[in-house]
Amino acid sequence: MIVANEIELARYCIEFAIKSGASAARLSLNKNVMDAYTILNGELDKVSHSADRSIYLYLYVDGRYGTFSTNRLEKKEIEDFISQAVVMVRMLGEDQLRRLPDADRTAKDATTGLELDLCDATYESYSSEERLERAKSMSRFKAYAPTPEYTVLSEECEYAESSDDTLLIDSQGFEGRHRETSFNCFSEITIQDKEGTRYSGYWWEASPSRASLEIENCSAKALSRAAGQIGPQNRRSGRYKMVVDSTVASRLVSPILNALNASAIQQKMSFLEGSSGQKMFSEGLTICDLARTPGKAGSRMYDTEGVATADRTIIDNGTVREYFVSTYMAGKTGFVPTIEDVSRPCLMPFIRGCKLAESKKDVSLKDILAICGNGIYVTGFNGGNCNPVTGDFSFGIEGFAFSKGKITHPVKEMLITGNIMTLWNSLVAAGSDARTSSRWQIPTLAFENVSFSA
Amino acid sequence: MKNYYLNIFKVCENELESLMQTALGAGGDYADLYFENTTYFNLMLKDGTVSSGGFHTDFGVGIRVLKGEKTGYAYSESTEMSDMLAAAKAAAMIAAGQNTTKQYQKVIDKVQDFYPMQLNWREQGADKFVPFLKELEQEVFQKDNTIVKVIARMSDSVSDVMMYNSLGELTYETRPMGSVTVTAVFQRNGATENKTASRSYRIGAELIGRSLIEELAGEVVKGIDARFEAKRPKGGKMSVVMGAGASGILLHEAMGHAFEADFNRKEQSIFSEKMGQRICPEGINIVDDGTVANNRGAGNYDDEGVPGEKTYMVEDGILRSYLHDRISAQWYGVKPTGNGRRENFRYNPIPRMRATYMESGSADPEGIIASVKDGIYVDEFSNGQVKIGEGDFTFFVKSGYLIENGRLTMPVKDINIIGNGPQALSDIVAVGNDMRIDNGTWTCGKEQSVPVSCGIPTILVSSLTVGGE
Repeated sequence: MIVANEIELARYCIEFAIKSGASAARLSLNKNVMDAYTILNGELDKVSHSADRSIYLYLYVDGRYGTFSTNRLEKKEIEDFISQAVVMVRMLGEDQLRRLPDADRTAKDATTGLELDLCDATYESYSSEERLERAKSMSRFKAYAPTPEYTVLSEECEYAESSDDTLLIDSQGFEGRHRETSFNCFSEITIQDKEGTRYSGYWWEASPSRASLEIENCSAKALSRAAGQIGPQNRRSGRYKMVVDSTVASRLVSPILNALNASAIQQKMSFLEGSSGQKMFSEGLTICDLARTPGKAGSRMYDTEGVATADRTIIDNGTVREYFVSTYMAGKTGFVPTIEDVSRPCLMPFIRGCKLAESKKDVSLKDILAICGNGIYVTGFNGGNCNPVTGDFSFGIEGFAFSKGKITHPVKEMLITGNIMTLWNSLVAAGSDARTSSRWQIPTLAFENVSFSA
Repeated sequence: MKNYYLNIFKVCENELESLMQTALGAGGDYADLYFENTTYFNLMLKDGTVSSGGFHTDFGVGIRVLKGEKTGYAYSESTEMSDMLAAAKAAAMIAAGQNTTKQYQKVIDKVQDFYPMQLNWREQGADKFVPFLKELEQEVFQKDNTIVKVIARMSDSVSDVMMYNSLGELTYETRPMGSVTVTAVFQRNGATENKTASRSYRIGAELIGRSLIEELAGEVVKGIDARFEAKRPKGGKMSVVMGAGASGILLHEAMGHAFEADFNRKEQSIFSEKMGQRICPEGINIVDDGTVANNRGAGNYDDEGVPGEKTYMVEDGILRSYLHDRISAQWYGVKPTGNGRRENFRYNPIPRMRATYMESGSADPEGIIASVKDGIYVDEFSNGQVKIGEGDFTFFVKSGYLIENGRLTMPVKDINIIGNGPQALSDIVAVGNDMRIDNGTWTCGKEQSVPVSCGIPTILVSSLTVGGE
């Protein structure tokens, strides 16, 4: 973790920047350690250890602005670095809108970095041998005997533990701290069916807490996802209902959140320009930014400017309530400044035509498949893109056909194509099954009338 | 020259030896050190002003120990001996309790300089590049009066790299990279479109000049009329003519990744059992090349100290070579091909592509288009992806045209294309005589980001699945 003399170094950097001619400055000091292990087919294949320490400096000089970073933190080198940075900023164009956020908007309650309970106190207590043993415990390769349907060719399991500590300070006196630990496991399985065709599947888990990381079934879930793809069938092009699994549903949310960023709007690179306060999406689509939920990955007390986060509603029953507006973009656009980007988006459960608040019912994947009846259940996206200006998208998909609420067979080589606004206005349901391990809390989603090509 | 690098990293040759002994202290077969000192510089013009920019320094040493094919890796951001020894001990852990012994081979050779710098980026100031970006912006605005925004960016990096390994091979070099990207936003009759053009080379600051401005400004407005007219085609399987240049993304996604030898060593690739077999029609040669002068993927050495080379993956339609780092080369009993690359000293090297392209064939490109009754022509792309095991790949088409009765007709845009690697390669039915490498800012993201490039002549693939409505 960041120690006292490093905090003093960070403060000195700010002082030195001001003394060197900067009118204002902000600095982020980050330290990270990580240990990672890869187990290939039951045997240790790779072990890596890393320890990083760097500073990132934001300088405001004579109405000009620049950003600089270095991992060479000896005092003399830092002084040369800052002096050169000030000289360079003076060569850039003037932009008086570049400034620190108003001091009263910055977080005052992030003093230890532990406020959000994202740091596992046991992190330091484990030896590398214990971590290695945990990694080895993930592997099931030697237990995977050939079946009549397939043979496991390869199993790759990765286990990583990391600890991250960031100090953010500025020349107005703001000091904020964010600390978190992360425990991750990932398994990828490659199998071959009796015809010689290969299929692969993966699974992962992540948690800020060592004890709550579920590693036991990671490999088995990856195998299940690989084996489930055996025997894909062609499906005809057409319009189908589409259910998107919670493991990948964030892919359809990110174009919306990107389009709500004031920077994109100001540069005319957003299909949601002029949407503030407007009902742009179907009734029932509600996305909140629950930035301050203790113990949940993605939570943070402040953004990279130091501006205090708060739990906010971004889209409320289809109506856009918030843009993401940094201090600079507030000056450029005239929008009220908020925070610069989303922290922990949570999409709320919804079933068209059903008042969930009254029923208080959890909405599962099974429920949603039953609601939709027939269609394509998407479990993965394979490439594709969404045009940020128009919202037109085209994505490769993998998944299954389903009928009468039951999965029938895997599909292959399919694409979905459309416009992201049209898609979200076709929302039929959203589950309450977002993965707890994900920073983005996006559940299973269902849309109707989606164009599939095959 | 050697002393220049030893001085940058504040080490002497005795210390390199001492680190090597520590790294191999637990019984490793092979160890290497990768010292890196990189300086990055960037500027961005928005709303008529170059109002943001900066520089960044990254310094450190990565230490790798191999025991057979197993890897131990650690790095230090300091070259103080105590810090480096701690990293060496951490990397050495991989060998503990392992009994196998493998002999790694020496490969150092005399190399050419594929990217001499006439003007060192480190000796230039921002004052040289600010006027360049403004001139670029003005040139773009002058090309089309429907442009409402121009965003222009330039960046450069210079990396001092020194590598030493337990075979006694000491190599060092300085690697430049310069990139310029311009995006224009157009508005016509209430509709908005944007278009981006970029160039990136391993070259010095001589890149920055009038000819580059004219090239980028011309490209960023080229085809914008069609972009406004473009529609989504009807989706489904169809013939696809891939225009020369950027269509090389097909090779990168459909086969390049699946030829990276780590995936094959682990039996994860669909091409794992196809060495020596026909995978394309006769006459097709597919290359991964680290020797294209000033190319974004060029390397005098790879990041394991292996000299860059031109590697024929496919010769006359037959799979001849995977892309190897030292580990896979040792596993397969072949010479490493110079494909061991890494993002920076924080990462261990793995097999990666460089400049991947198909050599020219003999067909007339216009004749290829004329041969298609119903299909699609594509020539501008953004991103791609592949599933290594299944071979299913996709790439995203930013612009193209329908082909109807041998003629380009309706413009199309924003569609994804999906196919299967081995099937797509065997479905190549015509290869043009116009091979061109695309020099945009291509970056490959397999675990780590590394600069690459791709190229291809005009080709016809008889069947791919095209997204549409």
